[in-house]
Amino acid sequence: MIDLEDVEVTYGTLKALNGITCKIEGGAVGLLGPNGAGKSTLLKVLLGFVRASAGRARLFGLDLPRRALEVRQRLGYMPERDMVSPKVSAVSFLTYCGCLYGMSRVDAMERAHEVLNYVGMGENRYRKMETYSTGMCQRVKFAQALIHDPKLLLLDEPTNGLDPAGRTEMLELIRELALKRKVTILLSSHLLPDVEHACERVIMINQGRVVRDGPIRDLTVLRDGLFEVRVRDNKEAFVDALLAAGCICMDQQSGNLLVTKPESFELRSFFEIARARDTQVRHVRPVRHSLEEVFMAAIGRK
Amino acid sequence: MPIYEQTYRTYEGQLRRHFRWWTIVKQELRVLISQRAFLVLMVAALMHFIFRILQIVAYDIIRMDPNNPINAMIQNVAMLVVNEGMFYDFLRIQSSMVFLACIFAGAGMICDDTRNNLMEVYFSKPMSWRDYVLGKTMTLVAIGLTVTAVPALILVLLHNILAPGWKTLGQTYWYPGAILAFSLIIVLPCATGVLASSALLKSQRFAAIAVFMILFGDLAMGGILSEALHKQNYLIVAFPAALDHLGSVLFKQRHPVLSMHWKWPALYVAIVCGSCLWIVCRRVKRAEVAA
Repeated sequence: MIDLEDVEVTYGTLKALNGITCKIEGGAVGLLGPNGAGKSTLLKVLLGFVRASAGRARLFGLDLPRRALEVRQRLGYMPERDMVSPKVSAVSFLTYCGCLYGMSRVDAMERAHEVLNYVGMGENRYRKMETYSTGMCQRVKFAQALIHDPKLLLLDEPTNGLDPAGRTEMLELIRELALKRKVTILLSSHLLPDVEHACERVIMINQGRVVRDGPIRDLTVLRDGLFEVRVRDNKEAFVDALLAAGCICMDQQSGNLLVTKPESFELRSFFEIARARDTQVRHVRPVRHSLEEVFMAAIGRK
Repeated sequence: MPIYEQTYRTYEGQLRRHFRWWTIVKQELRVLISQRAFLVLMVAALMHFIFRILQIVAYDIIRMDPNNPINAMIQNVAMLVVNEGMFYDFLRIQSSMVFLACIFAGAGMICDDTRNNLMEVYFSKPMSWRDYVLGKTMTLVAIGLTVTAVPALILVLLHNILAPGWKTLGQTYWYPGAILAFSLIIVLPCATGVLASSALLKSQRFAAIAVFMILFGDLAMGGILSEALHKQNYLIVAFPAALDHLGSVLFKQRHPVLSMHWKWPALYVAIVCGSCLWIVCRRVKRAEVAA
């Protein structure tokens, strides 16, 4: 669906993209990078706004920017910046957007109601957009990207300005679109938890280059010998026994223990020690590297 | 779709590749018509049209009756006679209403889209900057022609209906062409000028004020030049005078002040329209890339 080969974009002397190569065939993909990494430029290349100075960009098998209008007809884009069409209602605005995609007015209005329902706009859809809160504008922005039922969605910071409940709802919608409706999603965000929640794969870019690319599960590999453990009671006695067995223990704010075990220490030993200390293991889980750690390592920061 | 399932249907319709600019024109007109102030302005702009209808009705009815004592009188009052001069005057007077309507409708057309970050959304649709510029320009042209060409053509038709015959037809057959040409000469600079101002400035109010200031400055400059250099043809610098001159040529009238060849005001109008359009295209194209 998205096929980038050594894409370079230069603004004057600055190389905004420096040989980006990646392929996206489906699913929800997170696009991560610090400010100025080239995320927005990459989205502009995909929309055909910016011409690559070198390399080749293809979407749906169509060359960009030569066939940008055909590409734009098939994708939906949700920009980062707040947008509002103050004098019209959300229904009217979305109907207009549908018509711009090439729908008849009747179809566009029907679709407008469906997608506004989907994003949870309720009766607010009939109010003029100048009266909308940031969260409502964000929903309308999302809805306008969905109106023509695209197979590819480019989302730029979709949870900006949303309250925690709205944010969760938005991320659930994104997840559902990718899983149930098989829409390919490219989600550009600074918020790592958002990407972690909604995406299966992540592309990290820094200084115009792809620095890490792969499924989140593969990138956040298990840490050697590090476990998160929680016991019912007698925590001190349990810790003493673990220390005696050669483990290193750290208390976490959540009340869990972070235990680094020696190689000879087997997993079942946690349960044996607990039984010996008259307690029960309630939770034991190998600890993974967080996406944040992976991201920081990828961009070369501590 | 079951009511408990929050989803939307797959769109199975055909996405057409028709003219996007036409969609923009329809939407802009729809938004404008929903504003009461715009409707009031349009009604005010058409009051003159109603006055002219009454004039034509009265003139044609009185003229058909040779025994009517007023007949001889109205034939001698140039202001009341229905001829090419009347249509020229009608369009000349309407030009100020075109200006006001274009300011009202067009001053915020581009700057509001820029300020509200709508460009980014619009250009993510299958729409090019050419569609955008054409759509906005054609909206203003449509409004301008509604105030000028449309009522003027109706007046010609009315005149032919009330005074049927080959004589009237022979006198008026060229009016529609002249009306359309003069209407476009009035409307195009207004539309492109207002859009250029809207593309350059950040708010609707500033754009409107800027257009007014440029127009008054231009009028003053024309007056000052013609007075200082003692040559009335320098009045051509005042843009409305250039438009009037072209209108007078089209309607075979003698301009009271200017005596130069029509190609100079035509060139002036073309340069103004071209420059304004160039500004609009440049700004919109830049907005597409910066979106």
